[in-house]
Amino acid sequence: MTALRHLLRDPVAALGLALVLFAIVVALFAPWLAPYPEDAFESRLLQRLKPPSAEFPFGTDNLGRDILSRVILGTRSAVVVAVSVVLAAMLIGVPVGLWAGWREGWVSETLMRVTDVFLAVPQLILALALGQLMAPGLTTAMVALALTYWPFFARTVHAETRRLRGALFVDALAGIGASTPRILLLHVLPNAAPAILVRATIGMGFTILTAAILGFLGVGAAPPSPDWGLAVAEARQHLPEAWWFPTFPGLAILLLVLGFNLLGDGLRDVADPRLRRGR
Amino acid sequence: MARYILRRILLALPALFGLVLLTFVLTRVIPADPAATLAGDAATPAQLAEIRARYGLDRPLWEQAVTHMRQVLSGDLGSSIFSGRPVMEEIVFRLPATLELTFVALLLATGLGVPLGLLAALNHNGPIDHLARLISVGGLAIASFWLAIMLQLIFAMDLDVLPLRGRIDVALGAPPTVTGFFLVDSLLAGRLDLLVDTLRHLALPAVTLCLPGLASIARFTRSGVLETLQKDFVLYAQAAGYGRVRLAAIYVLRNAVTVTVAQIGLLFGALISGAVAVEAIFDWPGLGTYAVQAILSADYKALLAVTLVVGVVYAVVNVLVDVAQALIDPRVAEQVK
Amino acid sequence: MRLRAALLAALLFATPAAAQQRPLVWGDTLPATLDPHAVFDVPSQFILLNIYDGLYRYQGNPPQLIPWLAERHSVSEDGLTWEITLRDGVNFHDGSPMTAEDVVYSFRRLLAMNRAPAAAFTPVLKAENVSAPDARTVRFVLSTPYAPFLAAMPLVAIVNPRVLTANEKDSDRGAEWLAANSAGSGAYRMDSATYRPRTALDLVRFPEHFRGWADNPKPIDQVRSRPVMETSTRVLALLRGEIDATDSYLPTDQVERVERNARTRVAKDESMRVFILRMNNRKPPFDNKDARLCFAHAFNYPGFNEIILKGLVIRNPGPNPNNLWGNPEGMAPYSFDLAKAREHCDKARAAGAPLGREIEIHVQSELEQTVQAAQMFQADLRRVGVSLKIVPSTWPNITGSTGRPETTPDMWVHWVSAYFIDPENWIGQMYDSRFHGTWKASSWYQNQQVDALLAKARTSLDQSERARLYAEATKLVVADSPDIWVYNTVNLRGLTRRVQGYSFSPVGSGGELRTLSLAD
Repeated sequence: MTALRHLLRDPVAALGLALVLFAIVVALFAPWLAPYPEDAFESRLLQRLKPPSAEFPFGTDNLGRDILSRVILGTRSAVVVAVSVVLAAMLIGVPVGLWAGWREGWVSETLMRVTDVFLAVPQLILALALGQLMAPGLTTAMVALALTYWPFFARTVHAETRRLRGALFVDALAGIGASTPRILLLHVLPNAAPAILVRATIGMGFTILTAAILGFLGVGAAPPSPDWGLAVAEARQHLPEAWWFPTFPGLAILLLVLGFNLLGDGLRDVADPRLRRGR
Repeated sequence: MARYILRRILLALPALFGLVLLTFVLTRVIPADPAATLAGDAATPAQLAEIRARYGLDRPLWEQAVTHMRQVLSGDLGSSIFSGRPVMEEIVFRLPATLELTFVALLLATGLGVPLGLLAALNHNGPIDHLARLISVGGLAIASFWLAIMLQLIFAMDLDVLPLRGRIDVALGAPPTVTGFFLVDSLLAGRLDLLVDTLRHLALPAVTLCLPGLASIARFTRSGVLETLQKDFVLYAQAAGYGRVRLAAIYVLRNAVTVTVAQIGLLFGALISGAVAVEAIFDWPGLGTYAVQAILSADYKALLAVTLVVGVVYAVVNVLVDVAQALIDPRVAEQVK
Repeated sequence: MRLRAALLAALLFATPAAAQQRPLVWGDTLPATLDPHAVFDVPSQFILLNIYDGLYRYQGNPPQLIPWLAERHSVSEDGLTWEITLRDGVNFHDGSPMTAEDVVYSFRRLLAMNRAPAAAFTPVLKAENVSAPDARTVRFVLSTPYAPFLAAMPLVAIVNPRVLTANEKDSDRGAEWLAANSAGSGAYRMDSATYRPRTALDLVRFPEHFRGWADNPKPIDQVRSRPVMETSTRVLALLRGEIDATDSYLPTDQVERVERNARTRVAKDESMRVFILRMNNRKPPFDNKDARLCFAHAFNYPGFNEIILKGLVIRNPGPNPNNLWGNPEGMAPYSFDLAKAREHCDKARAAGAPLGREIEIHVQSELEQTVQAAQMFQADLRRVGVSLKIVPSTWPNITGSTGRPETTPDMWVHWVSAYFIDPENWIGQMYDSRFHGTWKASSWYQNQQVDALLAKARTSLDQSERARLYAEATKLVVADSPDIWVYNTVNLRGLTRRVQGYSFSPVGSGGELRTLSLAD
């Protein structure tokens, strides 16, 4: 709660939180909020590429679909992609980091070297290659992103675990006979949680952005999904005439990623109080 | 120090070895059959089999992997099965284009990011700080391909002040190749007009590409300055009557370099990633466009090579960064020992 | 401060010193390799037509097969032995004269490499059966009669063996070298030093070209090929005059804009390139004719052709392009009629066709039109209770999977371009079951009657009989509705107005530079 209060006292972070919460609400109620929910898959050729008007505040796209509706409907896929990719990456990265940080020996060493291998290639290139290899599509893109993002969690958790392993209270716990899983799960993990949380929040923004690039390059979401990156990609042929076509999905990406990044930034400040003391 | 550097280089080797293996496994499970594309129209199944045999595509996977490993270790990345040319040759053509773009973007990111971070730190929690954070975090949030298209529309089409695409005007032609870096080559050739034209062509893609870097550098400069301002010696100095601005200036002069250097290694990956989309839109003949083409045509040799070269460059940059850091601040090397 | 402002101004506004005329800048795609025997696709025709010469060449629209390096030909009565007499006085770029031996070398190289352009010949021609009885005669002895033999001649570039043997490596017939260099006799020669694969190719006119330049008083001396990857960038570059020509598939939504611009125009030419939605006839529900008819009636042809593509295409009722010979007269295309579609779907369901399953349609995600067609189709199929799933893919991914019926997608979308002008290029290779396993025959259609007709048409040397056979086969195929034929392409190439003398032919898509000139 104190953390939340700190967060809210920081206007920029509060803005981030507001953006993220707003997106989550929109994602949850998308079908009810969208003026034309069936435009997720419908095509209305006679009203294609209409500029913004009272009827279509964001204009219509190349198949005559309402862009506002599609931006609203696309929020859900963006949030789902971000959350599931980050969760999957955490599921791999956190245990790897915990194990490798706690134990010495060749297994830990190998795990961290594997992490290095993954970190040695820029995520986008790796995700692109992976995405293309396993029949392109949103699921593939998500798997590819999770497979390229887990090393960041592994690194973060590894560092935290290494730091805590030498800590006095951990020695004490081991001394009174606490089991390793118990120490790791109940004591080390909670202490690493703030770092993980910050990583995760930043990761959400990063994921949305990379998924959009993948969609843009044709390795992400499949049409007719109202995916934002895909919409920008589809809009390319109609530029600069239909300026509204890429603009609104692009802004949606910007706002949501901004929200996650601002929130992450705020959380980082909360987690690292030294920077807050100031003045 | 020498031991530290050696150790750092040796540590990079297993990662690179793993990378070779990883990329191979990845690219050889492609469902696309390069043989089918090669044989083209109306190829008979017998023709396909022959092509598979010729390129060793019919051998067991492990055997292909061993062959691949041997080739890579002997410095031979093979020939693209589409262009028929050595992959390395095309990479040598294209790497300088990407590096030049990335380098200029990095320069811009540092030149703008450090002052922004400094300004934010000096106004900690004030309106300028929030604004600067908004800008810097926003820089990380903009989809590069979207920004690239928008900049093209505004500066190349509407205002018509900057070129739209490519590295240099087609009518002028590239400077004679010495290094492959047009900025350097045009100077070596003594052609100022080419230099200016290259800079004009660099402007939009470099600005697009620099934003994420700018954001990170600003953020790290800000926290670095803040941290220093809270150090005891600064508090004493402040008590003794030194102005905050002057202290910060001293700090920045000394530490901006360290902060940036530390960031370059991390940023480089982001820059290369960004380059993929940016190069495609600005028609930049670099590795990013090559990677996309390789992927679209299932040219696995090319894809392998790009991934590998990017990995090597990335590793080299990171080793250099670590070494540079150790040189600037010997405590880093001590810690590792 | 003032200095900095001046520098900034110089950076922003400095215009490149362009005193003399800008060279022609060609913005169309370059092929992956320059070796004319290694690939055959639309981009490679640019190399074939400009750097090389063939024995025959297609020119004009409708395309005429013109003797090019050849002067005349004769064919034996059994249709097996073809003799082609070469024209005199043809020189390669290195100045050496072209002989019949060089033609033999070129064909043997093509057949030995066995890559895309060889596919039209390998079933009927062995390398040892190409010979040169004298310096100006080339003799081909086919293993079976093959009517499209001459029609396929323009596929083959004649290369200079002297240059190639000098650059041979591990007896590769100069393959590695030729991928980035040239050994031709064509109207333009390339500058190997500035060549960058798929990025930059500089061409210089070859004044001694055998055709002479009398028909073009102001030929272009310098051509720079600079492909632009992104469609939006390509159009903008044309509008700004950074390139003089786009590819010939300008998005229809951009046509108006390019035409409105004072310095650009759009060349619109009916081509021979059929847009098709494939159905895998071996996979249920498409093994059921009613199911296929249901799909054929559910595609909104007028909506796609007239509204999305703005009427810049021509409805094509069957596999052969409208403007080719061998089509039955008065063939009626399938109509967009959801009531009929529903009727057929109900019949198919009653017969047990699994129309309830999700049907996958694979699209080439970098080709926007394939994606739009699939999305529109999806919306309409939903109305007849069929659910279609769009799977983004790429050309190599799809064609890599068409080797077996089980791996071939339920449906996919593509064009069949004019590689050579003969029904064999379309209906012949698409619906004769002997081509099963190739991407062209990926609907896995099988009809013995059609096979027999096509086999006969392939070997007959009587043009009117061939036309009759193809018309008959087309009727049968269309009645079976194995695929959905949508339109025949009108090629749309954006050009700057200074480009004069543009002449289009369905083979090469107007990429022949020899006739072009630049207005001041």
